[in-house]
Amino acid sequence: MTEKRARGSGTLSGCALERIIRAARLAAVFLGVLAGMPDPASAQAEPTVIAVAIVVHPATQIDDLTFQELRAIFRGERQFWDDGRRVTLLMRAPEAAERGLVLDRIYGMDEAQFREYWIGKMFRAEVASGPKLVYSADMARELVTVIPGAITFVPVNEVSSETKVVRIDGRLPSEVGYPLR
Amino acid sequence: MSRAARALLLALLLPSVPVWGQGVPSGPVAHAFLFGDVMYVAGGEAPEGFKLGQTVIHGNVLLSNRVAFFGEASLTGRDTGYAIEIERAIIRYDVNDGFKISAGRYHTPISYWNTAFHHGLWLQGSVARPEAIKFGSRFIPVHFVGAMAEGRIASSPLTYAAGIGNGRAANTARAGDVGDVNESRAFFATAALQPDALPGFRVGGGVYFDDVETEAGGGADERITSGHAVWERGSLDLVGEYIQVRHQAGGSSSPVTSRAVYLHAGVKLPGELRAFMPYARWERMDIGKEDALFTGSVADYEAVLAGLRYDFSPYAALKIEYRDEQLDGASGVGRLFVQASYAAPITSG
Repeated sequence: MTEKRARGSGTLSGCALERIIRAARLAAVFLGVLAGMPDPASAQAEPTVIAVAIVVHPATQIDDLTFQELRAIFRGERQFWDDGRRVTLLMRAPEAAERGLVLDRIYGMDEAQFREYWIGKMFRAEVASGPKLVYSADMARELVTVIPGAITFVPVNEVSSETKVVRIDGRLPSEVGYPLR
Repeated sequence: MSRAARALLLALLLPSVPVWGQGVPSGPVAHAFLFGDVMYVAGGEAPEGFKLGQTVIHGNVLLSNRVAFFGEASLTGRDTGYAIEIERAIIRYDVNDGFKISAGRYHTPISYWNTAFHHGLWLQGSVARPEAIKFGSRFIPVHFVGAMAEGRIASSPLTYAAGIGNGRAANTARAGDVGDVNESRAFFATAALQPDALPGFRVGGGVYFDDVETEAGGGADERITSGHAVWERGSLDLVGEYIQVRHQAGGSSSPVTSRAVYLHAGVKLPGELRAFMPYARWERMDIGKEDALFTGSVADYEAVLAGLRYDFSPYAALKIEYRDEQLDGASGVGRLFVQASYAAPITSG
């Protein structure tokens, strides 16, 4: 014990190095074998190619977001608008094609990773509430107009004249280079 | 079972707060999860057999636009019954994204793992926490009672947290829940960088200072520094963390330093095997000679482990893990763990 303690907290012993090498070999097996394999998130079936419009509550004082700002809002890293209202994120329920596109482009996650991501954020007290589920584009459009601070997405062909569509990186869904198509 | 444990179970059985349904909430918005696990252990000196892990209830309540409450309570099996513990209880006022102020009982942010995974084993990639930050460990003060400010610096990728509190209790494995043991408050500051260009990457560190009372009597100056790097992207989880604890006993001119480090890697398999995640971890803890707090209570430790996680349900996972541990320089001891863990949403919306 004394000898061990005298070795103290400094250098690693030969035995320790062997154990590190063993651990590194173990990790290399996992990582090396799998290195060429595709990411499970991207191995999913590609979502139907559609464009989604980002829609906010009409009173929200914002017309344009960068893609990075949009990602921060959807990931719960930005929780307040500049006017102090709390962001309320409305997400389509699983199976909707536009949800698949948003998970792929904005989150870079599959359904399982998305679920674990939000449970983790709530468990870490980083957010008080996760995204609110909506079950149709109609419901998304309706709720985003009545909940101050709400933001959601709808298929571009289902945008109505009452909804406030936000430009992403300066582009509307109909314009070339729009990132959510 | 104690009255407090019965009260907790009753609370679990009561109807949960209705949340959104199909409309807009008119009052506080509440969410709750129940976490738990059951494990089989084989090998080693500790009792073998089945073991019921902690049952944890976690709740978030958005009380108003800016005020939120976060709570976490656990039931832990003992030989004499179940012990109930308030793990975290935090009330927070969010001024904006850059400044959120809170008070209560936290998991001390001095360690990444300590604040990323908390008590829900379903969330973490292995059967148990690294030894240096396991619950009940004395290596770092795992819990912290006090007040904290946190936020993100403007639109930058830099986040911060700083807090002041009671530090360790007379039992140095516990936080000072009923006040500080001395007149010196503990304080900490942490910062982390999460670049937008590298989603899933995080690097950060922190410092923690306190004057602690040793269980043998006498005081010591405690300084903890830590650093971490994390890559959690797509199918890959990589976490590395280093923690250094320095104690200087009152009247001594020479501080004693102890160190802990771990490297954890997990890879989710592709395609049809996507529910499987092999993982491995190496961890090591070196305790300084004649440390004022640790000698006699915290031992040198080294472990190599490898396991496989299988998510057999959206909210449940099975982990099989083999761990080779070496305590205080003794020969390595191998143990096998099979654990089923779950996260059960009590409310949804």
